[in-house]
Amino acid sequence: MPSIVVNIIWMVAFFAIIILFNQRMQIWSYQRNVEKATARLQFLADKSREDALNSIKQFAQENVDIRSQVTGFLDFFLIEPVDRDPFGVLGRLEHILDNRRDRFKAFVSQIAPKAGKTDAANTEDILEAAMALNLIFKVVRHYLLLGKKTKSLMIFVQLDMQLPMIMKMAEAYFSAQKTFSAGKPIGDGLGALVASKLMLGQPKKQIAEEVVYAELDLSNRKVVVLKAEGPGGVVGKPGEAVKQLVENLGGKVARIFMIDAAAKLEGEKTGEVVEGIGAAIGDPGPEKFKIEDVATKYKIPVDAIICKMDLEEALTTIRKEVVEASDVIVERIKKAILERTKEGDVVIVAGIGNTIGVGQ
Amino acid sequence: MSKQRQSRFAIISIALTLGAFTLFVFATFVDPLSAYSTELMVAGLALLIASWGIYFFGGRRAQKPEESTENVITVIGCGGCDFREERAFTLGDYIFKELGQCKKCPGNSYIRAIYAVPLKK
Ligand SMILES: [Zn+2]
Repeated sequence: MPSIVVNIIWMVAFFAIIILFNQRMQIWSYQRNVEKATARLQFLADKSREDALNSIKQFAQENVDIRSQVTGFLDFFLIEPVDRDPFGVLGRLEHILDNRRDRFKAFVSQIAPKAGKTDAANTEDILEAAMALNLIFKVVRHYLLLGKKTKSLMIFVQLDMQLPMIMKMAEAYFSAQKTFSAGKPIGDGLGALVASKLMLGQPKKQIAEEVVYAELDLSNRKVVVLKAEGPGGVVGKPGEAVKQLVENLGGKVARIFMIDAAAKLEGEKTGEVVEGIGAAIGDPGPEKFKIEDVATKYKIPVDAIICKMDLEEALTTIRKEVVEASDVIVERIKKAILERTKEGDVVIVAGIGNTIGVGQ
Repeated sequence: MSKQRQSRFAIISIALTLGAFTLFVFATFVDPLSAYSTELMVAGLALLIASWGIYFFGGRRAQKPEESTENVITVIGCGGCDFREERAFTLGDYIFKELGQCKKCPGNSYIRAIYAVPLKK
């Protein structure tokens, strides 16, 4: 019976393929996922660069080639200070971050000389988002090509496992860029929004870099409220501002309140308001350090009030829940000041976050 | 949309695999068909390859189209009265932007809030 022979040969061949090429097929399957993700990341990176160019174009001088300048700038990098000798590392980090910000400002004023203060600040944020997407795409593509070159299943598996988080982050930055170019307030601006609501109608004074403050009277307590200067997309140096204010007052500050947006865990509700203690600020370190340092020096308690949201909600247009939470926080602060301080005390309220789309 | 497309490709792919499997079973265990078993096997193999092809390359071209996923609302209020108005966000709006005299009273109107309401995806 030749058909049985054919059947047997076929079965053997079938299982041989499955057994021998098992790993190869797994690589194909993972590689396919990663390739699809990389294609999407490339699309996002390219689109964000084009969007950035389009929004810069309106502030640029005619017949100046901004495309090559912007494309080159997207690879701009920062080398973190050495921390093997940690002494003074935050000072060195702050110095480098200052340098970076100066370079950003100089670049924006060079390619977009017609932009006002607000538009220039927003353009910086747009560039930041495009740079982040550019970097994510390049890193993922690197591992994809490395995996192809070495035919390593492990590289693909590791990459594939992290892809859901990476894609979520990339999509968040991509939507963030659209929000930045429209100058809409973002979820991260919650702290700034709360501060604005408190200081409404009071005269504002400048302190530290890109930070404004106002003084108001609340049930016979002097409340000093500070935030980054809006409505351009800046975070300013709130740590430096708190430090200067405390030093100017000779350390006679009864309490510091910090308001910030915080990453929520899956399952937690967006706009949930939670209280705690400590310096609620998500900077790379220097600003947080200054607040902790000055609070420790003068033994000032630091209260934190945070509002929960996920990364995408923090980077894109502020949600209704978060705006409603800002009113809740204003009431909470007023209540907390009444309960935790005495008449005649001085209290500092620091609204932390990117103040894009939030004036004062 | 692209999700729907992808799941349609997946269903076709699974159907083809099942078809191939059925052919293999028939070719092996149904006696009257054993004369054609080779042809059936080849047909089954072709189906399998087609199924893989669809699975691997089917969803590839699907690129998400651009669309707005949020509805952004600007809320206007007044410092002098309880005037309140909602309108769509326009470029240049920011929270606490002064908008000049109120429509109802001599007070100043300003933007009280801007927020996004996500549209159903
Ligand atoms: Zn009015």
